Amino acid sequence: MTAEDTEIKFNRSLLGVDHEIGSYAVTREMIVKFAHSTGETNPLYLDDDAGRSSEYGSIIAPPTFCNMFVSGVTRPDIELEFGDVSLFAGQAIECVGAVRPGDTLFARTKLKDVYAKTGRSGKMVFQVWETSFANQDGDDVARVQESFVRRSRRPR
Amino acid sequence: MNAGKIYFEDVDLGDEVGPVERIVTDEQVIEFTQVWGREEGPTRFTSPEKARSEGLPEAIVPGAMNIAIMSQLITAWSPTVRLRKLDVVFRSPVLHNRPLTLRGMITDKGVVDGDPQIECDVTMENEEGTPNVIGKAVVSLPVRE
Amino acid sequence: MFIDLHTHSVSSDDSRATVEQYVKWVGVLRRKRYRIDGFVLTEHRKFDFDKDYSALAAANDVLIMKGSELDTNMGHFLVYGVTEALTSALDFSNVSMDALDLVKAADETGAIALPAHPGRFGIGLCEFADSGADLRSIAAAEGLNGSNRPGEQERAEDLIRRLGVPATGGSDAHLVSAIGKCMTSFENQVLTETDLVRELRSGAFAPVTLDDTI
Repeated sequence: MTAEDTEIKFNRSLLGVDHEIGSYAVTREMIVKFAHSTGETNPLYLDDDAGRSSEYGSIIAPPTFCNMFVSGVTRPDIELEFGDVSLFAGQAIECVGAVRPGDTLFARTKLKDVYAKTGRSGKMVFQVWETSFANQDGDDVARVQESFVRRSRRPR
Repeated sequence: MNAGKIYFEDVDLGDEVGPVERIVTDEQVIEFTQVWGREEGPTRFTSPEKARSEGLPEAIVPGAMNIAIMSQLITAWSPTVRLRKLDVVFRSPVLHNRPLTLRGMITDKGVVDGDPQIECDVTMENEEGTPNVIGKAVVSLPVRE
Repeated sequence: MFIDLHTHSVSSDDSRATVEQYVKWVGVLRRKRYRIDGFVLTEHRKFDFDKDYSALAAANDVLIMKGSELDTNMGHFLVYGVTEALTSALDFSNVSMDALDLVKAADETGAIALPAHPGRFGIGLCEFADSGADLRSIAAAEGLNGSNRPGEQERAEDLIRRLGVPATGGSDAHLVSAIGKCMTSFENQVLTETDLVRELRSGAFAPVTLDDTI
């Protein structure tokens, strides 16, 4: 944490603390709808016959499917005192294992960093979260690092 | 887009992946937010007025949808490749109904923990050629028997 | 000599390129007959004293130097020839530092600070040039930036004409394949950061694009 960052007001006790953010039942319908709505055409994610004849034995979820569950609604509020608009700033998603229909995913998340910088829209504060997903067998399936930026509404 | 089988030996630094042209329509964004299941009422993703009230030029494509579309640069490349990691930075909002170009460029190649992998720079550009989303993909490819 | 004066590695929060990958890519460019002698890592809001790339540089015949890109009250500034005296004088992480204080402190410690992407909306010197500030201490400015958006290049050129200073070039690479897109052509040899500061003060350089090097 830098000297400048110490001026950012937020709930520092959340830094590095693991939080369970819930469990999610994955259905075939969810996978197919996610794939369809994003324009995915690979039959591995859409077609039961293609899934059955694949090494997975069924359709699987597209690589970024876990984004369905990580958009912040169940995260703790870090009580950041800056700006009034939040935007998704970046994401790293690591695909560790296949997600199949019928799986139940368990997610844990932690606040990794909060820092300030300036950009085209002025001063911004970033918060970085790390979230991991494991299935019902305890196998990790995805690790996601997300950055959210908070800034003030543009004057114009 | 090449849908044939691609192997580790077939690719080298400087090779391109794509490009892929896409347009994300209002209807697709609405469908995505419905699948998402948490967006109720007008949002920055579906309402130009709401977006403008938040300082955005107009309704934007959700980041989670952008990264899903970016991943298709790899998932549509070849049935033999597997996306290991996609790491992107959103540099400016992606707007509905505009031509978008997805590009990949192979920048590294090697065997990591026994897994033959490449790294690709990936970008999503708007019609002016400005990258809205930039990042990199780590991709596994099989070696020929 | 052709040197990319503006690059970011994974040490910057928004870059996804490692220094090793940049070096490999310089090899790719050279095989395509482009000329690139080296690059300067200008990480955001920091200076990486602990990073030593000399072995990597020597093994690949690529000049690798280190600098910084700092956030100031008049946009982003590139700093070359950073010393402990400078990092002691200024908090590099301060996103509202006074730009002219930075230029002065750099001058006093053997470094040089110049405006990065001065035509950029929001964070280019252009946005602040009419504030009445005395900009005569600025010795050069980044004239070619590989990440400029439409309109920003023209704004930069206008401002640089007004300032009457020589222009550098840098890719502002955040991805591997962007390195070298814009560079600075130096008339004299640059082998160290001290050489770089001296040559930047001499004015014997010009901005170039990668295609200009063939």
